[in-house]
Amino acid sequence: MEIKAHTVSAGKAEGEAIVYNGPFSFLGDLDPATGKVPAPRHPLEGKSLVGKVFVITTGKGSSAGDSAAWAAKQNNNVPAAMICLESEPILSGAAIITEIPTVDRPEKNVFELIKTGDYVKVDATNGIIEVVGK
Amino acid sequence: MILTDEENRMLDGEYGPGTQKSIDLLIKLGESADAEKLVETAYAHTSYDFSPEDYWSRLTEEVKKTPHRVTTHPSFDPEEWEKWGLPLAHNWVGPHERKLKRYLELGWLRTETCAEYLIGIVPRKDDIVSMGGSCMQVTNNSLFGARVDRMGILISLAAAVCGRTPLMGLLLPENRFASHLVKIEGLDVSDWGIPHYHCLGYYIGDQIPGFKPVAVTGLPPNLLFDFARALVVSMPTSGAVTLAHIVGTTPEAPTLEAALGDKKPEHVIKVGKKEMTQTWERLNVWDNDVVEHVAFGCPHATIDEIGRVAELLAGKKIKTSLLIGASAPVEALARRQGFADIIEKAGGHFQCVCPSINNPFTRPDIAGDKRAKSAATNSARSAHYLATVSGAKVFFGTDEECVNAAITGKWKGEIPKWK
Repeated sequence: MEIKAHTVSAGKAEGEAIVYNGPFSFLGDLDPATGKVPAPRHPLEGKSLVGKVFVITTGKGSSAGDSAAWAAKQNNNVPAAMICLESEPILSGAAIITEIPTVDRPEKNVFELIKTGDYVKVDATNGIIEVVGK
Repeated sequence: MILTDEENRMLDGEYGPGTQKSIDLLIKLGESADAEKLVETAYAHTSYDFSPEDYWSRLTEEVKKTPHRVTTHPSFDPEEWEKWGLPLAHNWVGPHERKLKRYLELGWLRTETCAEYLIGIVPRKDDIVSMGGSCMQVTNNSLFGARVDRMGILISLAAAVCGRTPLMGLLLPENRFASHLVKIEGLDVSDWGIPHYHCLGYYIGDQIPGFKPVAVTGLPPNLLFDFARALVVSMPTSGAVTLAHIVGTTPEAPTLEAALGDKKPEHVIKVGKKEMTQTWERLNVWDNDVVEHVAFGCPHATIDEIGRVAELLAGKKIKTSLLIGASAPVEALARRQGFADIIEKAGGHFQCVCPSINNPFTRPDIAGDKRAKSAATNSARSAHYLATVSGAKVFFGTDEECVNAAITGKWKGEIPKWK
């Protein structure tokens, strides 16, 4: 199944999906040393984002998000690709700086069509999400 | 994107690789948001100490002294941290000094604060300014009516290098009207202080999807500056709100209709006692009452906030470490006023560092095995970052509760009895 989307940060990547129906910040929601979510009381607490196709609503939080993303990228502790409903400039900038292929404005409901554990291919350059399945 | 001849020269590398990489980033960011062009800024605000050194060097490579004004976010003071006996402080000296040297070569100003409006650097209404620091963005947008879009620290460095920013988002007047309305209902705010407004802002930020502008009604007109600031700064911590109109207080919101652009809001969010209690509880992340550190000045303290802390600390000694984040000029005023002497005699410290994200007492990579594992604060923004960046147990409460915790080393804070 293919879903069209809008390019935020060009590139192609694929991996297992991890879906979070909420906003994300590289500062505070991702430990750059482990690639896991450290936030207390966060639904994804303890889960790794490394190499995953991370599905979120949008970005949030401090503008140090892009430098935190850069630090995590130096340890290869970042998602392989990101899919968001509507990006915002800090998340977009972080994706561009770290060259994480990222799309937003998907034309179908990604929270219904992509489940955690599904295998997903993201062609951010051409704005195409391919859900391969389990 | 349409570029001027000058911008094309930047992109072609005529001004060196740093400028070339910087403008390339601005163009890519602009394209991600379908921006038509770049625009020149009235001034730029960025951060050298928040930028990883390799990236800082990459974007400033061969950049010459800029014709435009650039200011900076809170910085580090690793030499002072060494004097305080923080074991890993020495790791920070080299990068800090190298980046600062380069920063000054570029002719940029050592403002070193997230509250530049307190030291006389204030954008005029409708000035386009590029800024790193979500607290700077939301404050200058909301309280002064400047046009500031959301952007990350490294993008703000690119914008500072180029003196330009993509024309997008909140720079466009049509995007500045509130789409979301927050109604304060059944809450008497007459005895509220800074943390109550922080708590309200933290709740609102969490409720607004993305970075949609928000209008807040139900608060007294001409809200005290410190309260208005506390309300807006915690919104981009729990969420991404970068422009909040406080009806009756902020320049683009003389009336609710003006804030909404005469349209109906997409969503209405009501806040009452229940929401405030839940948020206050959420901001308190602790399991026993031992307090090892107290942080004030997120965002950087006003002279009134420092004065209140000094009054509460007069003649006392503290058991915890205590840090007040403040700009050098505001600290100088506190010194002339006699406040700094009282606070330092009690055992507290001033620094123009960020007391939340880069708090030297709680960061494991600065304080090492001497790090404070629990911290009290009157700022929701600070509570959020002390917990998530430093991994500290966090106590959130009033100025009085925080100072009392500093003196006793124990937390006796309570959830406010909302009226």
